Amino acid sequence: MKHSKMQLSAETMNLGFVKKVELLSGSSVRRCFQCGKCSAGCPMRSFMEHPPNRVVRLLQLGQYERVLAGRSIWYCASCETCSTRCPNKVDLAAIMDALRKLSWDAQGPSKESYVQLANRLFIENIRTYGRQYEMRLAAVFNVKSGQFLKDLMLGPKLITRGKLRMFHQKNRNIGEIEKIFSRIEEMRKNGEAP
Amino acid sequence: MKNILNYSYYPGCSLHASAQEYEASTRGLFKALKIGLHEVPDWFCCGATPAHNVDELLSLALCAKNLSLAENVAGDLAVACAACFSRLKTTQHRLIDNDAKRQQVEKAIDGPVPLGKKVKHLLEILARDYGLERLQSAVQKPLAGLKVACYYGCLLTRPPEVPELDDCEAPTIMEEVLKATGAEPVSWSHRMECCGANFTLSRPGVVLKLSGDILASAKAAGADCIMVACPLCHGNLDIRQGGIEQASGTRFDLPVFYITQLLALACGVSTERLGLESMIVSPMPLLREKSLL
Ligand code: SF4
Ligand code: SF4
Repeated sequence: MKHSKMQLSAETMNLGFVKKVELLSGSSVRRCFQCGKCSAGCPMRSFMEHPPNRVVRLLQLGQYERVLAGRSIWYCASCETCSTRCPNKVDLAAIMDALRKLSWDAQGPSKESYVQLANRLFIENIRTYGRQYEMRLAAVFNVKSGQFLKDLMLGPKLITRGKLRMFHQKNRNIGEIEKIFSRIEEMRKNGEAP
Repeated sequence: MKNILNYSYYPGCSLHASAQEYEASTRGLFKALKIGLHEVPDWFCCGATPAHNVDELLSLALCAKNLSLAENVAGDLAVACAACFSRLKTTQHRLIDNDAKRQQVEKAIDGPVPLGKKVKHLLEILARDYGLERLQSAVQKPLAGLKVACYYGCLLTRPPEVPELDDCEAPTIMEEVLKATGAEPVSWSHRMECCGANFTLSRPGVVLKLSGDILASAKAAGADCIMVACPLCHGNLDIRQGGIEQASGTRFDLPVFYITQLLALACGVSTERLGLESMIVSPMPLLREKSLL
C-alpha cells in the first residue's frame, strides 16, 4: 500500500472527509504546506509508516483510506510537539485524535489499534469506578490482549511497594458519572453531538 | 498556624495509587511552607490521554464536571499531575471560544462549565505564587552536590497556548525551583522529549526506546538522578527502568524523584513523609553518599 501508485482526480479528492476531520479536530487540514517541521520533531516517526506531514498530505489528496488502515495514527503518542511547532497552526495532535475516532467508529479494533483497547478499558474503569483502578486495568488488559505474563514480574514488586491498590477507590459521585456517559450516548443518538 | 496561601486541590487518580509518594511529599512540603491544599470532595478521573484519544466530547465533559465540583472549594485549583493539569486547561481553552462545543458539554454535565476557575500546576504555585525567594529561605538542608536532570516531558509546556506555564521550547521553571534547594541542574538534551506515556500498557517496546533514550541522555550528562512533575513520566522512568536496563544491557541506576520529594527533603520535612521507600529505583545509596539522609 505504502508505495502503490496513487491515482488522483477530482473524484478522489474527497473534500467531504477532510471537512469531517476539520470539524472533529477543530483544526484546518488544508492549511498545511508540507514544511515537514511536525515530522522533524515527532518522537514516534520511526514507528510510523507515514510520518505526520505525510498523513496530512494524504488527507489533502483524498487518500484517507491509506491513513485509516495504517499504523501511524495508533503510534501517535499525543506529545503535542507537532501542534506546537507548525507554522500554519495545523493542530496535528487533534487531527490524530479525530482520525483515531473515525477509524475506530468505522472499523472497530484492529491489530494496529492495540493501544485503543487499553484506552477503552481505561474509560470503562471511569464509568464503573469513577477513578482509575490500576490493578484491574493492567490485569484485564493483559487477559484481553493475550499477554498474560508480560507484567507478572513487575506485579508483586509494585504491590509490596503499595503502588497497585488491590481495591478500587470509592466515589460518591458515581451516579453523576453514569449520567454523563448516558447523556452523551443520548445526544449522539439524536444527532446532537459528533 | 495560619496558611500563607490556600488552594483547592485536585490530586488525580495516580496520586492515590501508583504515585503515592508524590501525594505524601506534596502534603508534607505544602504543610511545611504553610500553603493550604483543600481537596475537592469526590473528584473523579479526568480521562487523561485515553479519553481524548477515543472521545473528545467525553474527555471535555469529564474535565468540565471536575471543574464544577472544584467550584465548591475556594481558591485557585492546584493540580499535581501534568496530564490532569493539561486536560483541565485544555477543556477551558477549547470551550472558551467555541459556543457549539460548550453547549454540548453543558448538556452532557447538565450545568455550566466554570471557565474562569484558575488551574495551576504545583510548579507554578511554588515558583510564582509562593516565589523562589521565599522558597530559598525555607530551605534548611541544602541539596549541595546533587546533580539533577530536570525532566519536563510533554504536557507541562505543550501546546503553548494551553499550559501557559513557561516557554514551550526552552522552559526554565523546573531548574529555577531546583536551584532554590541548592542542587545543581545538569544541561541535557532530552528534557522535553516524550517518554511514551500512554503506551506503557499496550506497547512496552515504544516505552523502552523513548524512555531508554531519556535515561541514557541524563546519564551521559552526568546526572545523579532525575526530577519529574508527572506520575506517568515517573512510571515509565522509574517503574520501567529495570526492564529498560535489562533489554538494553545498560545500567542507569538513576533514582527518579518528584519535584516535591526533593523540595520537601531540602525544607527539612521528615524523610518518613517523602515516600522514598515506594520508589522502585532506590534513592537511599545516593542520598547517603551525598549525606542527605
Ligand atoms: S508543520 Fe504544519 S505546515 Fe508543516 S508539514 Fe506539518 S502540518 Fe504541514
Ligand atoms: S502528537 Fe503524535 S504526531 Fe504529533 S509529534 Fe507527537 S507523536 Fe508525533
